[in-house]
Amino acid sequence: MGYLDKEKTDALNKLKRGRKIGNLDSPKNPFDYYAREYGTVPLDTKRAPFQWVSEVAYKNVHRIVARGYDTTELMEEGYGVIEVLFVDYQARIPTVEEGQMLNYVMILALEDGLSAPAAISRIVAKSKTFLTQACGASIMAFGHAYGAYSAFGNRLESYLDRVDKGEFTPEAAAELLVKENLHDEALGVSNLMLKDPAAKRMIARAEKLGVAGKYIEFTKEIVKAAQNLSTEPLDLDMLGATGATMMDLGFTPEATWAILAVTRSFAAGAHYIEAVEREESNRLGQQLTPKEDYDGPADRPVPPLADRDKVARSAVCRTPEEWKARFEKMKEVRGSGFSIVEEIEDPSKKSGIKKVGKL
Amino acid sequence: MDRKPPFRRKTAISYKTEEKTVMRGYDLSELAEAGYSFYDAMFVLFQNRIPTENEKKMLKYEMGVFLEHSMSPSAVGAIGVSAGRPNLPVCVAAAVSTFGGVHGPGAAHGYMLNKYLERARKEGKTIDEIAKILVDEYMDAKKPVMGMGQPQHIDSDPRAEPIHLKQEELELEGVYLELQRAIEKHFHARRKKDGRSYVGVNVVGSGNAALMEIGFSPNAGWCIGSVVRGFSCAAHALFNMKKGRAWGASRNEPMVQMIDLSMIKYIGPEDRIVPKKEEQQEYAKKQKEKGEYKQWVI
Repeated sequence: MGYLDKEKTDALNKLKRGRKIGNLDSPKNPFDYYAREYGTVPLDTKRAPFQWVSEVAYKNVHRIVARGYDTTELMEEGYGVIEVLFVDYQARIPTVEEGQMLNYVMILALEDGLSAPAAISRIVAKSKTFLTQACGASIMAFGHAYGAYSAFGNRLESYLDRVDKGEFTPEAAAELLVKENLHDEALGVSNLMLKDPAAKRMIARAEKLGVAGKYIEFTKEIVKAAQNLSTEPLDLDMLGATGATMMDLGFTPEATWAILAVTRSFAAGAHYIEAVEREESNRLGQQLTPKEDYDGPADRPVPPLADRDKVARSAVCRTPEEWKARFEKMKEVRGSGFSIVEEIEDPSKKSGIKKVGKL
Repeated sequence: MDRKPPFRRKTAISYKTEEKTVMRGYDLSELAEAGYSFYDAMFVLFQNRIPTENEKKMLKYEMGVFLEHSMSPSAVGAIGVSAGRPNLPVCVAAAVSTFGGVHGPGAAHGYMLNKYLERARKEGKTIDEIAKILVDEYMDAKKPVMGMGQPQHIDSDPRAEPIHLKQEELELEGVYLELQRAIEKHFHARRKKDGRSYVGVNVVGSGNAALMEIGFSPNAGWCIGSVVRGFSCAAHALFNMKKGRAWGASRNEPMVQMIDLSMIKYIGPEDRIVPKKEEQQEYAKKQKEKGEYKQWVI
């Protein structure tokens, strides 16, 4: 389409200037609103046209290639999902033992009973959706507490970096990590696996296969430090065992997060299917929320609209002291968000791929 | 018909019996019957109160102006997902989920304002003084100042200043607008001093300041902004589903499509031979020793 021609632009702007639109002609605006162009920005011919840039894979009419390997050829040669995960995330073929270890990890990551991913899958299923919606919802259940592989792994990396710089011994770094994060959900050490040997077995398997490395070694130090520091019985949990093993296999914390969330989604699909098979769908308005579960304000009459000025109290605060008083009061309103403080940052390492796009 | 809840939890937000649905003590049906608006209901939901007329007007303006933004990550997400033709809500969910640390970071901006307001109070600084500290701290650390700059509206977000003006017109000027205006002033001055180009306030800077001024918490504001965008993203997905081609790769369309094969630019390892399975172990060990693969690890 491109920009509207000048004659039509001027005519339209003149008409609008005459009609005046709200605050748009305010001198506080950093622009003259009635001098603005219409239409879309013409194509930029000075830069390379847009393309989907990838280091991971390409395809043409006849082949699909991941990190240089034709994926059909990979399968024909006897490789499978396990090896393609190494190819996609690490651009390499794994050793036999690395493949065996990832296979082991993925079996253990597949199912976790009716925890968040399966539960949300079943809830979505009851709305009579496609199976894929339930699988997608299950992946979204992975965060920085449940399935916190990214948080766990990045923390390991940051303390090990300080060890590499000679700031600490691994033992001292583990002790500091535990002191600073003992109650964090992503510590990898907890009381969750005191009776289940699966986490320790995974580490034993990694050692037996010869794939255990610095992450497993450091995680063991973390377990020791946590056990020394805590008065409660603690031990390695599945997050710690799985996260450390995946990192010793060369996967980044983010790759680990993605691979294991997707792995669990297969089981979430089974939970969707079972929910559809065994349970009825829900209709809008069907499910009740018993009043005994409600602890909000008591039932009250809706004030007549004409009384708005009498009942409404503005939230606008003119001073920091007023603001603080309201802020504290609002903490009493559950669901308002005033009790939450969190860091929301750009989770990517860097943005933009600068080396492509030049003509 | 089973009417039991799927799981039971205490909630202060609502309950629902066979007779009525009650939110924060108000029967929803009565709220609508009395003539209250959807905007009023948002105040009841997140703040447990009926807003003033002007607060309601501000929210109405804010939600309306934020609803549509043409091609931004949220719409592109919805359109991209729609290419596979899932159910429409999946496209909308993907769109809402695009709001993160960079695209429409409403909560992050809100937490930033709250943090520095608290510091102003504790350190006995004026709002103008704390705004300068904020700008200097962020810019010294080479961190983007939340609420400033928009990659498409490069000289000024067309929604941003009008939101400020509406807030002033409605006489809703409190600590948040004062802080946001002061941040903008010091941000512009700092960039000018550093010899850098003008970067205007964006819709998060002005819109979120307004949302917080009318009493919403950072997360409540983020929820309102992100979810209202879902309405327009559904329209973009629907347009593509009803009037576009599935997949977005057809060679029969007059324009090259989104994922036409020619749209792929590959910059990874060169094409190479797949090792025979019996060669795997030796090949893999050499590959690890050489370490060249490390440059591609993600």
